[in-house]
Amino acid sequence: MNKFIFQTKINFKRIVLRNKAFFFFDMLLPIVFYILYTKILVSNVPVSYLKVWNKDYLVSMMIYACMLGGIITTANTLLEDQMSNFKLFVMLSPLSNFQYYGSMSIVLITLNLVSSIALTTVAMIVNHVSISIGLLFELISINLLGTILLILIGVLISFARKPNTVNLLTNLVVFPLAILSGLWWPINIMPTWLQNIGKVMPTYQLSVIDKNILHQTTQHIGPFINLLIWSFIIFLILFTVNKIQKEKGLVTQ
Amino acid sequence: MTILEIQHINKSFGKKVILKDINLQIESSSIIALVGANGAGKTTLINIILNLIPQTSGQIKFLTNENWKQITGVMMQDNIVLHRITVKEIISLTRSYFDKPLSYEELLNISGLNNHQNNLMTGLSGGQRRRLAFALALAGNPEILFLDEPTVGMDSNARNEFWQEIDRLKKSGKTIFVTSHYLEELENIADRFLILQNSTIAFDGTIKQLRSREGQSLVEFDSELNQIDFENLANVISINLIGHHFQIITNDVNQLITELTPYLKAIDNLQVKQSTLDTLLLNYKENNHE
Repeated sequence: MNKFIFQTKINFKRIVLRNKAFFFFDMLLPIVFYILYTKILVSNVPVSYLKVWNKDYLVSMMIYACMLGGIITTANTLLEDQMSNFKLFVMLSPLSNFQYYGSMSIVLITLNLVSSIALTTVAMIVNHVSISIGLLFELISINLLGTILLILIGVLISFARKPNTVNLLTNLVVFPLAILSGLWWPINIMPTWLQNIGKVMPTYQLSVIDKNILHQTTQHIGPFINLLIWSFIIFLILFTVNKIQKEKGLVTQ
Repeated sequence: MTILEIQHINKSFGKKVILKDINLQIESSSIIALVGANGAGKTTLINIILNLIPQTSGQIKFLTNENWKQITGVMMQDNIVLHRITVKEIISLTRSYFDKPLSYEELLNISGLNNHQNNLMTGLSGGQRRRLAFALALAGNPEILFLDEPTVGMDSNARNEFWQEIDRLKKSGKTIFVTSHYLEELENIADRFLILQNSTIAFDGTIKQLRSREGQSLVEFDSELNQIDFENLANVISINLIGHHFQIITNDVNQLITELTPYLKAIDNLQVKQSTLDTLLLNYKENNHE
């Protein structure tokens, strides 16, 4: 247990506390988007609609923040660990893979927690959005669970093992996924065929669950099953790629 | 006492055979040097022992009741340089991985970084990073230590101190498994040499055994003559020619010198030495023992 706590402490220092610029932009980007799309780029919108939009967009940006932390930060941190030989060092030590990835997940989940709280605070101050503590707790809990799936995607991307490829893949995954899932703009402004694709995406389904919590409407099992299926698929790919890389001796390079 | 058993290890990448039926028993309190040409499979063998890559067939057995990672220390060829982490933090983190670690002060002394403990790892020089890597390999007070090219990047003083420390570790009961391209360093310290060639262990024994098998002595001289002029001399085991500098391995120096007498006018700087691991290995490669 001692090694897990120590590993988590060191991860906090190197990923968050001593990486202030990165931490700042990781948090700032969703906040800037939120202000942009709820305060600046909205005109001639009925007040009643705007009130709902401000709440819904808060959820979208919370999920977007989880994507930045879960996918981009995970992929880049693991890539850095590989390039600095720390990954190899850990593989040779008594620290298990579960402890290594687990401690990193705790840091990333905390990062997303801070992002969600910061976003909600901004929404309350700028748009006078009101959410009860109980609802906020539910929302954040569900998003943090969703973060685990996003972290798995980040881990998978890091297996590309080359900085250029990892950067390319994170951009190819995060931004199209955000757009397709309707996190940046409402999904119904896209063509129907694109909407159909978007609605299969895990981040869209996460936003459906969040919005049901937010508007206190009935939850359906469908979005949860979607997230489970995605988690299973990503985990299966991860397992297979890891096995192939180990077989080829790539883990030591 | 045997600490590690390597049984019938085979490794292939596709159709390419890297290791063929490797069998070894590693005894405690000894220094074992694994040598061979680049690409001979040294690193592959170490990676298989350390479970970093799977073997095609065969078994690795650490003869211990503990988790083998708790009794193993590893210093890999490439240094670990973790960003935004200090020397103090990486030593403390590494200690936390083990059940019975060496003390922080002891590890700091081994690393020689007493005045740099609050420095970031990225700010250390190549030699300092190497010494830190060595200290980290010792963090768990291991029974068996794997060192892959440990002295690369160290200056001669640091290398000397390093091998003294290795000798001290051996005397305290540790087993050291080492690969290095600095063969003259291994020659002075290793108890046992394993020559990896053509995917197999071509030689397993002491330097003395290697010399008696491959030639005890080395005769060196400079000459404008050609290699062919000396090749047919009866007591020549092998010849290595670099520019005009000849190195001849022989088992009978006196006879060879007698044979060289007709050529003495064309020979300068004649020296007789004990054969070195370097020349013996070269001889091994040329003779292509299988």
